[in-house]
Amino acid sequence: MGAIQGFEIRRSSASLRGSATQLRTLPVVAKYIDTSTCIGCKACEVACQEWNDLPVSQTEQVGTYQTMPSLQASYWNLIQFREVDYQGGVAWLMRKDQCMHCADPGCLAACPAPGAIVQYQNGIVDVDPEKCIGCGLCEPGCPFDVPRYSERTNKMAKCTLCVDRVEVGLEPACVKACPTGCLQFGDKDTLLAYGKHRVTALKEGGFAEAAVYDPPGVGGTSVITVLRHGDHPEWYGLPKDPTVPVAVSLWKRILHPLGFIAMGAALFGTLGHFMTVGPKKPKDTSTTSGGEV
Amino acid sequence: MSDASVPASAHPAAPGPSIMRLAVHREDVAVGDEIVRHRLLSRVIHWVVALFFMVALLTGMPIYSPVFGWMATLFGGLSVCRWLHAWSGIAFSVASAVMVLHWLSDMKLVPHDLKFNLVQYMQFSAAEDPEIGKYNPGQKLFFWTIPLVTLMVLLSGIPLWWPTKFGSTLRQVCIIVHDVGFIMWFVAIVGHVYLGTAAEPGTFRSMTRGTVTKAWARLHHPKWFRDVTGDRKE
Ligand code: HEM
Ligand code: SF4
Repeated sequence: MGAIQGFEIRRSSASLRGSATQLRTLPVVAKYIDTSTCIGCKACEVACQEWNDLPVSQTEQVGTYQTMPSLQASYWNLIQFREVDYQGGVAWLMRKDQCMHCADPGCLAACPAPGAIVQYQNGIVDVDPEKCIGCGLCEPGCPFDVPRYSERTNKMAKCTLCVDRVEVGLEPACVKACPTGCLQFGDKDTLLAYGKHRVTALKEGGFAEAAVYDPPGVGGTSVITVLRHGDHPEWYGLPKDPTVPVAVSLWKRILHPLGFIAMGAALFGTLGHFMTVGPKKPKDTSTTSGGEV
Repeated sequence: MSDASVPASAHPAAPGPSIMRLAVHREDVAVGDEIVRHRLLSRVIHWVVALFFMVALLTGMPIYSPVFGWMATLFGGLSVCRWLHAWSGIAFSVASAVMVLHWLSDMKLVPHDLKFNLVQYMQFSAAEDPEIGKYNPGQKLFFWTIPLVTLMVLLSGIPLWWPTKFGSTLRQVCIIVHDVGFIMWFVAIVGHVYLGTAAEPGTFRSMTRGTVTKAWARLHHPKWFRDVTGDRKE
């Protein structure tokens, strides 16, 4: 089956390897978010709901401009608003919360259904609802608390980076809608270079700690974020040094091999026992009563 | 349960039907060359437990690893397993609770049980300890492992069943506990099935027909044999 260039499967949940030949080095795509030029208008939230045809969710007053407390199975893009004490004043911080499209996705590692979560050659992490069994195990696998299990559909759902748009050469819906240009889409290396420029400008503008958030603990992400306070990602609700959760690594990388060893040992141990010790029989077979057991 | 020994049938050539009818309600009784070991109720409980266990095992293993994905085909796919695994796990837990209560009095540990050495026992060469009663200490150990591991797997399974009701951290812990429990189950059951079939011939019929031969009883459970038959010579 010929996949669209860049959409060969690099990694697939509960599978040994993907279908990508990896003969060509194809660019990894990324979404660039500049929190310093985000005005919190939520055009991206609406565009996401519209394009993905997601049912309307009830908004919830949380004391800020935020639409609801956190992402939902039918709400994949949420601008978070935070106020932080900063240099005697207040820093009013906005961040676009969505799937980060990790290069090393914890959700994919945790998922037990073959092919339900896939990572394409271009870095996009996608969900195949047809293969998803609705177990919800991806949720504890994600270091960013992104995937959501829906009781209505009995499936997991999250941002797909608008695969259906990217496939035909369009940018994700949120990027299209953003009025300030704080969202960009393209080749990750180019956007990282662009981010560096922006960080330099922010540093000159007085934000000495400005940085691009592209956490190495998950191999980098295909959603990169420019932060004025790059030394404090937690101010934005981003984990400081996210990794695939220890429990998931312990489970998949240590417990599973140990389990296979234990299962093999039990099966071959009994076989070995039968071949060396053999069945337990009465010592004296000459007994008259009940010689046959 | 009675220690009474029923006299051998007047037609020793064909004691079958009568001992099997006896084995519906009574156990620990000898008829002719056979002893009833498990009455019908015990056998039914055991096989109900084993059935639910096997369903839970075969629907859980494809979720554990794609290596066992073919097992999911038996039930109509992984989505069915996800649903069936939870329900068969609940059914198994209930059935094994019934089994534990049913066998509780037979499985009481006595100080003498501490002398048991499983590794030595598995050599099958040492002379049988004459004080082994109806269940040997290894069987009792297996029996008592059941409520322990069942509880472990049941309690850790509930948060995994209801993803929207429990937090991620709790579920991370539960995954680990659930998997450790599964591995313990697997090893224990392989050992149990092996000992109940190939390793100790004459044992399997105690769970089907309900009876064992006297020779089997004398070999594996000498004290139980003496108690049931009143035979003190051996
Ligand atoms: C297909 C699989 C199984 C086979 C062939 C099997 C066979 C047997 C046999 C022959 C006995 C009688 C032992 C005796 O009278 O000394 C027995 C007893 C017993 N079985 Fe199973 N069994 C199986 C599955 C299970 C499962 C899944 C459980 C529970 C999780 C279980 C729990 C027990 C217990 C507690 C006893 C009494 C204690 C003992 O004999 O160890 N069995 N089984
Ligand atoms: S952010 Fe979460 S859901 Fe998105 S790829 Fe990473 S682990 Fe998966």
